[in-house]
Amino acid sequence: MGKGIKTFIKNAAPKAFNFLLFLVIWQLIVVVFKIKVFILPSPIRVLQHLFYPPIAAKYNWWLHVGATFMEVIVSFVATAIAGIFIAVMICWSPVMNQLLSPIIILFNSLPKIALAPLFLVWFGYGFLPNILVAFMVAFFPVVINSAAGLMAVEEDLLDLVNYLNATKAQIFIKIRIPNSLPYIFAGLKISATMCVVGSIVGEFIAADKGLGYLLRDAQAFIDTPTMFACLFLLSIIGLALFFAIGQLERLVMPWNRRREA
Amino acid sequence: MISQPRAGKSIGRFALSEKTLLSIKNLKKVFPLQGEELVALGSVSFDVYPGEFVTIVGPSGCGKTTLLKIIAGLLPKSEGEIHVDEAMFDPTREVGFVFQKALLLNWRRVLDNVLLPIEILKLDKKKYRSKAMEMLELVGLKGFENAYPNELSGGMQQRVSLARALIHDPKLILMDEPFGALDAITREKMNLELQRIWSESKKTIIFITHEINEAVFLSDRVVVMSARPSRMVGAVDIDFPRPRKLEVRTTPQFGEYAVKLYKMLEIT
Ligand SMILES: Nc1ncnc2c1ncn2[C@@H]1O[C@H](COP(=O)(O)OP(=O)(O)OP(=O)(O)O)[C@@H](O)[C@H]1O
Ligand SMILES: [Mg+2]
Repeated sequence: MGKGIKTFIKNAAPKAFNFLLFLVIWQLIVVVFKIKVFILPSPIRVLQHLFYPPIAAKYNWWLHVGATFMEVIVSFVATAIAGIFIAVMICWSPVMNQLLSPIIILFNSLPKIALAPLFLVWFGYGFLPNILVAFMVAFFPVVINSAAGLMAVEEDLLDLVNYLNATKAQIFIKIRIPNSLPYIFAGLKISATMCVVGSIVGEFIAADKGLGYLLRDAQAFIDTPTMFACLFLLSIIGLALFFAIGQLERLVMPWNRRREA
Repeated sequence: MISQPRAGKSIGRFALSEKTLLSIKNLKKVFPLQGEELVALGSVSFDVYPGEFVTIVGPSGCGKTTLLKIIAGLLPKSEGEIHVDEAMFDPTREVGFVFQKALLLNWRRVLDNVLLPIEILKLDKKKYRSKAMEMLELVGLKGFENAYPNELSGGMQQRVSLARALIHDPKLILMDEPFGALDAITREKMNLELQRIWSESKKTIIFITHEINEAVFLSDRVVVMSARPSRMVGAVDIDFPRPRKLEVRTTPQFGEYAVKLYKMLEIT
């Protein structure tokens, strides 16, 4: 365990250093060229908006971060469950495949974000339409990747269980699903990014809270430091989710971890 | 076991038991290939008697793998007959297959790879754990039961697949060049082990190899196949007493068998 922490620090230290260097250069550029704050605020200014109580108190950060975070998490979990489930159905039954594949291809060719105004009409302001937008944007990569993984089994591996007359369920549980895990995780990583995009777009159009809402609100007042603060928080949400998926992947697929080591 | 006088042509002492475990007649296999037909097996006939160790040799691409897959029910035949004596064994549960490739599931540890047939056959996994450990010791992989396949060498992986093919105690074992990926020394060791497993457990083995010496050393009978469209060229009974020691390979008789086989394969 101690070793794990050590390697974590060893891996993280250069990244943290690079990030700090980036902030310092940014600060220098703003100061040296005297860039106006509504064009590009300095990082210190942005951090003040987030953490310096007299300024930060004007913004209800927790409320907005909480709202966006919830939307991202809920939509992500929904895409994961629905995506994997539908992929399994498609691969399980040829009838399901013929039924669902055309619908999926049709929906996937749609610019999903264009559905957001429609969801506003149907479901009004708030949580639900935002989650639906995020779901629509992020769902297809999960289905497509998972289905590809379930199909991509070496013919010889099927021989290995077929000569013992394995049932279809056994083939799925023991061969197809574990074989598809790397594909599923690749799909989930795309989905995580897309869920943040979808939630924000939803909030642009129909919300009274959340970072997307705050971004548009700040835009109306040309409050650039607040906009940057929002972007900063959004990237933190995205990174946190990405990190969590990576940890889950290591947990679920320990055989890959060993190869890395 | 002492070899008995031969009965009939190229059938050997096992013909005395009369009943065949497996009887193949005029087996033909055609693959569709870009609108044309590829005749993988022309007309193949041979019998296998219970307890026999039969080896099939033949040039690369002559359909040896195809033949084993048809026997295992993995491929449909095109023409001909395969008769299995179901009173002697249950072809759906009592076959073990060692494939040309190791085919380990990289998400399972070695022990769980060995136990795969037990799971597929819905047998009690707990009961077979200690047997799996024994099998791993037998193939020289003691201490590796918790390793993942990608942590093993190619030869070690192939030995895991051998343990896996034996775990459910099959009566008929089909082996498709199982030792091709092993180094010479391990290969000799595995030959001795295989002979021991076979004679102790009274299994029937159909074995494929490219290595003539391996074929002569292991087999009761070596069947020779021709190039495509393949047919049976002939068979040679190997009359060495069991258990055979590696030294048997230095006897003149061993050389004679080998020369006979080389001639049949038209390598002289
Ligand atoms: N599924 C398939 N579809 C089409 N052709 C096939 C198929 N499987 C095998 N063949 C062809 O059948 C022939 C026999 O193949 P097979 O794998 O049985 O040969 P083999 O005797 O095992 O060769 P080797 O000693 O190299 O393993 C080859 O020409 C191969 O191209
Ligand atoms: Mg072959």
